[in-house]
Order: sequence, then structure tokens, then C-alpha cells
Amino acid sequence: MSCESLYPFVAIVGQEKMKRALIFNIINPTLSGVLIRGEKGTGKSTAVRALAHILPKIEVVKDCPFNLPDGDPQGVCADCPRTECSREVMGGIKPEKVWREIRVVELPVGATEDRVVGTLDLEYALKKGEKRIEPGLLASAHRGILYVDEVNLLDDHVVDVLLDSAAMGVNTIEREGISFSHPARFTLVGTMNPEEGELRPQLLDRFGLCVHVEGLKEAESRVTVMERRIAFDEDPESFCKAWEEESKALVERIERARKLYPEVIVPRNLLFDIASFCLDVGVDGHRADIIMLKTAKTIAAFEGRMEVLPKDIEEAAELVLPHRIRKQPFIDVVEDIRVIKPA
Amino acid sequence: MQIFQKIYPFSAIVGQEKLKKALILNVINPAIGGVLIRGEKGTAKSTAVRSLAGLLPEIPSVMGCSFSCDPQNPLEWCSRCRSLRQPLPVVFKRIPVVTLPLNATEDRVVGSIDFEKAIQRGERLFYPGVLAKAHRGILYIDEVNLLDDYIADLILDVAASGINRVEREGISFSHPSRFILVGTMNPEEGDIRPQLLDRFGLCVEVAGERDLERRVELMNLREEFDSDPEGFLKRFEEESRSLAWSILAAREFLPRVKVADYIRKFIADLCLENNVAGHRADIVMEQAAKALAALNRRSHVTIEDIREVAPMVLKHRRREAAPPSPPPPRPSEDDRNEKPSSPELQRENEEKPFQPPNNQPETASTKPEAQPEPENNETGSEQERITYEQVLERVFEIGETFKVRKISAPKDRVIRRGSGRRSRTRTAQKQGRYVRSSLKGDGSDIAIDATLRAAAPYQIRRRGEATLAVHLTSQDIRHKIREKRVGNFLLFVVDASGSMGAEGRMAAAKGAIMSLLLDAYQKRDRVAMVSFRRNEAEVRLPPTSSVELAARLLRELPIGGRTPLSAGLMRAYEVVRTVLLKDPSSKPIVIVITDGKANVSIDRSKKPVEEAIFIARRFTLDERIYPIVVDTEKRGIVQFGLARKLAEVMEAPYFRIEDLRAENLVKIIKEASQ
Repeated sequence: MSCESLYPFVAIVGQEKMKRALIFNIINPTLSGVLIRGEKGTGKSTAVRALAHILPKIEVVKDCPFNLPDGDPQGVCADCPRTECSREVMGGIKPEKVWREIRVVELPVGATEDRVVGTLDLEYALKKGEKRIEPGLLASAHRGILYVDEVNLLDDHVVDVLLDSAAMGVNTIEREGISFSHPARFTLVGTMNPEEGELRPQLLDRFGLCVHVEGLKEAESRVTVMERRIAFDEDPESFCKAWEEESKALVERIERARKLYPEVIVPRNLLFDIASFCLDVGVDGHRADIIMLKTAKTIAAFEGRMEVLPKDIEEAAELVLPHRIRKQPFIDVVEDIRVIKPA
Repeated sequence: MQIFQKIYPFSAIVGQEKLKKALILNVINPAIGGVLIRGEKGTAKSTAVRSLAGLLPEIPSVMGCSFSCDPQNPLEWCSRCRSLRQPLPVVFKRIPVVTLPLNATEDRVVGSIDFEKAIQRGERLFYPGVLAKAHRGILYIDEVNLLDDYIADLILDVAASGINRVEREGISFSHPSRFILVGTMNPEEGDIRPQLLDRFGLCVEVAGERDLERRVELMNLREEFDSDPEGFLKRFEEESRSLAWSILAAREFLPRVKVADYIRKFIADLCLENNVAGHRADIVMEQAAKALAALNRRSHVTIEDIREVAPMVLKHRRREAAPPSPPPPRPSEDDRNEKPSSPELQRENEEKPFQPPNNQPETASTKPEAQPEPENNETGSEQERITYEQVLERVFEIGETFKVRKISAPKDRVIRRGSGRRSRTRTAQKQGRYVRSSLKGDGSDIAIDATLRAAAPYQIRRRGEATLAVHLTSQDIRHKIREKRVGNFLLFVVDASGSMGAEGRMAAAKGAIMSLLLDAYQKRDRVAMVSFRRNEAEVRLPPTSSVELAARLLRELPIGGRTPLSAGLMRAYEVVRTVLLKDPSSKPIVIVITDGKANVSIDRSKKPVEEAIFIARRFTLDERIYPIVVDTEKRGIVQFGLARKLAEVMEAPYFRIEDLRAENLVKIIKEASQ
């Protein structure tokens, strides 16, 4: 948990919904991400970057460009560009593994397709006359978080690529003389300002949760924001230190929730509530149901409960449904689920 | 491969019986030629296809052949197998499922020279592409409607002949490539080309489960799978195995299935009545029915079999009586079409009037007859003559939307910037999809893979004192050809004067604009809107790529007042000028929606209509501007035809608002372009 120069996650004032949504995704990566919609200067990007403080650790093969949990002699390792390591794996030796924090990989809006999916390693091809893959951002983001700032401004064909691999958790490369597949399962976190154009419904659907953020309304909390920001800018190190205790507490709570999650049970009648909720508001397909169930379980785990309560379902609905009710292009994204909630 | 092990099992998919059946039939009888799966998001489309891989039987193929040649079928061997000594060694391989990613480049689709071998040994060897890997297997394209046209052409070409002939980079090679084409698509992202559509033997529509019990079951299963994939797979292992076994048995049984003459006649009748193009439907239907009979271990195809497969065969091929219109997507027709119990019922379905695809937003579903709001009735919507100053501001609902015909600026080879899907263009930026390479270029965007392939065979000769492994000379350099669809710039110039309020014209006009906006959304166009009413014109929406914003503004667009047409055109011209200054290579499409009855001029000394015509002439001065005039005047005894005159002056195609509908527009665009 290095401090660097990142504003601590726990020191963000207000924006509880956004913070919770991000935390839920850390507890349960199968929620497949969160879309944060809102105006400028509401701490969207700060919150995502600050996640680095509270991310849990995973076990990975040391320096593996694909973030594999273990060697995969039948698949990825056979064509891996890291020769020493892959030679070991192919020879039946267990590769060296390390524990490190989950990564937040940032996908810049101007990213080109070849950098995203991976491409031919130019230098190697010219020097050695052999082809080798140069892994792209999707490889680095495997088992981590892929963060796209201003996701609605992303180039169209890059969006297609994201959709493709987000769908199945596999990135297939068939380009520039390279033929390769590797796992790419990531939590997709996007921020956007709806004034600058909407997302395609298909991409919207890939985000498990969606939150709408706006500037704080009470003068008091606005003052707190200013105070903390100034304190941080003046002396980031001691500011981080002041919040370290709280950060640690949150990390531990997340860790407990991760352990508790598999044991959380959902009463059958609540399952029916979820299904009828989704049917009533009219969503496409079944992703909403599945994500809602997972979210409700995650909430229960985060609260330290073994059983899902109706209020968890309600909170889950607020996170899962808003962007899914917009089934077709041109229907506005609902910002408050309670507006349409059946009585 | 480890990464593919943990795929949700096919047999655990809840519901989607038709989808599963279609996939299984294709595995039993590859002659069916594939499935297109259309449907909303999150309905297990991709999951079903990917999990199918686990059920596929093993097939005999020539050992060491990268094309999985069939030892039993010497006629279809690749060049290599033909040259080898008989008998060829045989291995059993599982039927492959090969994914074609949307960003595939040409060299990987058809195959290319193996530059590694070429550099090391100076030999020109063929490095098989996706089409080789997919031979005798399944070629799977997710989001097939977003596939690049150029790559789609390559695939169509090979799918038609069953042979992939490669003549490139000094390689001459041909190998068989017969595959089952499986594609998924979400119709709201745009439609698929008719030629490509016809290649898919079957087509199934999928939708979410409506039944609560099953939704709950589905949720539970999915959650169970996510928390313990191994245990879950084990639980369904037995079921998967028995399904795989029955597929294998059906494959072996298939050659014994016979089709009686009366069945053949029934198929032909069915296809005729549905007005399908060509004979593929007949053939596919027979093959699919045979596969179904084989699955049920019957040696004869029955009428029942035909009834079950017919909807899947005809769904995407059925046409309206008018031949040129492409098969419309019909998500709104459900059960009745799924189970045609007799040819009579089929006919009945066919005679149903064209239903617009049900993908318009709810707010826009108001019919064009939608009358103005009652409280405004005293302003006399029925009357043709209106005292304009009295007219209050009104906001009309958006009229019925419909699918519009393709409007695009003529194709060209100008290199331009932008992003979108309307017109295909070469891009000079290092953006866009790299599809293939060429010798021409300025050296800024080198296709290194193609360059290496070009240089590879000469490496042995060039090997010298240099430090790099590869010796490149200038004639080796290849440049990337990137292609992307550039969205056009659409400028809507909307008449919002009081006269548009008459007879629900505004509702119809809004409907038309909304339809064009939906179209613009799919093609990623940039839009802007100028409206004019009372004494002035305003830029309601400056150029933006947010089509949503345009739709919202359109919804709120008030009308009333006089018609300052000339001011509107003036404003539009200014907007277009700015756009052209910013991006000189763009080709803005200006859509003027008016009845042409100008009655306010900018310069009071001039007549409004004459002034409007004078300004309209300016649009012809710059040939990059592509104007279109949509006339909202109702057909009647008294017709002023002013909008038509406007169109003549602007040298623009002229449409009536009702012509914008898909069925009519083809004809009119043709007329306009001649």
C-alpha cells in the first residue's frame, strides 16, 4: 500500500454510492465493472485512481505479461514472449509466483487498437527475424481493473474490441501475422460526462453497475472537500499517513467480505423479487438478474451478514438497473431507479 | 487450452431451445451452412456458441495437415496432401471452433507467407490463416454486423467456393475451406449485408426468458457456476456427455435419412410462398430437416420436421412482395411466425403489412396521425390558411419512426479524418482498422508485418555484415491501409413555422428526423440542427456526435410563427461553412425539411421566396455539400410545389416526407442520382 501521490480513497468526501459501487467490484470481480456518470469535478477519476490504496492482492506468476495465476503449458505459455519463464513452464517446472496488488490499467481515450489487443513485437521481429507477440493493454488488465476515462469518447472500433473480450473473457488476436489467444477478464471501470454523448447500449450493458454522481449540495461538506484537498496538496505524505488507519480498516473489511461472500445465502422469495423486478422494468436479457443477485450478495457480505435482506436487493437495483432500462438508443438513462420502481 | 476450460456448459443453458436446436442441427449436418443468432444483449448467444465446442465429436483428418483434410475425400485435399504418398496417416481431431475477432487483418484471415521460415531458410512457405483453421469446423464471428466490409467479402468469397486461393507475397497456394458460419448480432447496432445474411443457413431470434421460475433458475445456475466452475462442470458432465453422444450418433445416422418427393414439393411450395431469393432456402431446409430426422433417429423426413425447421430457414430470407427490399428484421413478429402450421398460415403471415422494426423508443411510437394537443385546436390545424402571428408555440410529439434507406455521399478515395460508420473511407491518420497493406505510402505508417513478409525470402541472399537479423531495402516497405467508416456530418434544417403544425405535418417531420437520427446513431454520424420560425433562424444544436442530444432537442422543438426560410438556409450555410473550414475533406449532408412556403425575408425589400431561392443557389457552389430536400407539403388539390423548386435550385434530391420510408426511397435515390 504505497502512498505515492494518490489521494486516499477513504478521504473522499461524500459520493457514498460511487465508493460503495467500486468497493463491491473489488470484493466481487464478477460484477464486471462500474460506470460512473456525472459532471466534471465530482471526484470520479480521483476515486478510481485512489482505488490503488485499497486493492487486495492476488497471486501471479512473477513478471507474467498475462497475469496468469499459474503456468499454462497447453495454452498461453507456449507462445509467450517471455522466453526464460515459458521455457521453464514448457519444461514442466513450476514458475516462480508472487503476491502483488491488483493493477489498475488505464486505457487512454486515444489508444490505438493494436496497443489495446496486442500486436507483433516490432523490435524482436527486426532483430531476430522471428515473430513474437507484444501483449496489449487487455493482457495487463487481466484479473485487474481496466479504467477508461471519458469512455464515451472512445474510438468506435476500440469499443468493439472491448466488447468482444469483455463478453467472454478471452482476447483473440488475429492480426499482423500474429495468431494468439489469452485470457482477459477484467473489471471495467469507466467514467463519463453524459453531456458529451451517450454510450452504445451494448457497451452500457457490459458495465455491471452504474452510478450517477453530482457535486455535493451542502456547504459544509463542500468546505470539507476544499480543506482536505488543500491539506493533501500541501503535504501528501502526512495526509496519507493521517488516513492510513482508515484505509487499513477498509482493506480488512473488504478482505473479510471476500471470504464471507461464498457463504452468503439468498432466500428463494428474494430471488423471485429480483426476477420480477427486472421483468417489471423491462430489461434486455438476463445480465441484469445475474448481476443484481451478485450485487445483493456482495452487499450482504460487505455488511458482514450471511443472508441477503430485502434492503440489499433494493440497493442492488439502484446500481444495476438504471443503465439497463435504456434498452434502445435514444431512451435516456434513468438516473434514479426509484422513479420507475413499481409501487 | 486452460482458458477455454471454464466455459459455462451447453447443457446447463436455461431455455433458448431454438438456439440450441439450430446449433446442434448444424453440427449434425454441416451442409446446413451455419446459424445467425440475432437478439438482445445478455441472452446467452455467445455462451451457447462457445460452449458448443465442448460437445463436438472428433473427426478423422490427415495427420500433420494444417487444414484438417478429410482422408476420405481426396477431391478436397490441400496442395500438400495431394503431393504426399498414399495412404495418408490419419488422426482424430475434435471439430474446431475458430473465433474471428473483429479486428482481424487480411493476412491472418486468408493466410500469408511464413516470414520466420522464409528468413531462416529462404523458403516460401504458407502460414495458414483463420480460414484454414476453420476448415471442417465452425467459424464464429461475434457481432458479425460490425465486421469490416473488406474482411466480410473475403469470407463470403471463400464460403461460396469452399476453397481459399491465396495468391500473394509470392505464394501461390490453395486449400479447402468449408466451414459452418456462426454469427451473433444485436440488430440495434445496425443490420447485416444481405449477401452475408444469405450465407447463414439458419437464423434464430433469441429473447430473454419471461417466466419467473426460469429466470430464478438461470440466476442460480449462473451464480453457482461463477463461484465453483469445476464442481459445476462436473455436475453437468453426465448430461454433456450424453448430448455429445447423441450428436455423434445422429451424424452417423444422417446418410440413411431419405427425403420423399412429396416432402420436396412441400419445401418448394413453402419457399415459393415466402418469396425467397434463389434456391439456397430450399436446399438448406432439406438439409436441416434431414438433420432433425437423424437426431430423432428416423430414416424419413416428415412434414413435422419441415415445420420445425422452416421458420429458422425462412426467417431471414422471407421477402416482401416487392423484390428489391431487403429482408426486414422482424423482431416484432413472434410466435405466429415461429410455428407455421400450414402453407396457408404462412401466406397469411406474409400478407401482414410491413411492420417497422420495433426498435423505436417508446416516446416516439405515436402514430403520424397524432393530432396536435387539444387546447391548441382553435388555432385551426385543419385549415390550410393560418394567420401566423396568432399561432401559439406548440410542441408536437414525435411521429412514427421507420427504417430509412441508405443515404450516403458518393463513395470516393479521398483520405479523411473522422470516425463513424456511414461512408467507408481510407484514413490517413494512424487510426482506424488496419485491414491490409500496400506498396504505396509516405513511410509514416509502415506495415511492419507485411514488410517483413516481403523481405523474408531474400534474407539468405542479403545476409551480410549488418547487425540486425533482417535486412530491409526500400522496395520491401509496405504501408498499412487502414479503413474505417467515417460518419458523415448531417445538418438538419427544420422548418418550425406555424404552417408545419397543420395536419400533423410536424409530427410526421419529427418522425422522419427521428428515423434519420436512429440511422445516424447506427452509422456514428455527427449531427447539427438549425430551426427557423417567426423572424429568425437559430442553431438549435451545434455540430455534435451526441445523437441523443439531438433527439432530446427534437422532442422539445416548438413550432409556431412565420416561415423565414431564407434565414434558415443562410444559417445552415454558415454552419456548413464552418464545418468545411475545420475539416476540408468532410462531405456534409444538409437535409432541409420544409414545405417551402417562405413568407419572411431577411432583406425586407425582397420577396421571401425569391430570396430563399437566391440563397439556396449558394449550396451548389461547393460540391462537397450534399443537400437533400424533404417536402412536408401534403399531396392535395392545391399544391404550391415550392419545396420542389427549392430542390431544383439546390440540385438536391427531392423527397416527400412519406418517401423517406425504406420501401420507396431506393427508387427515389436512383432517380435522383441519374
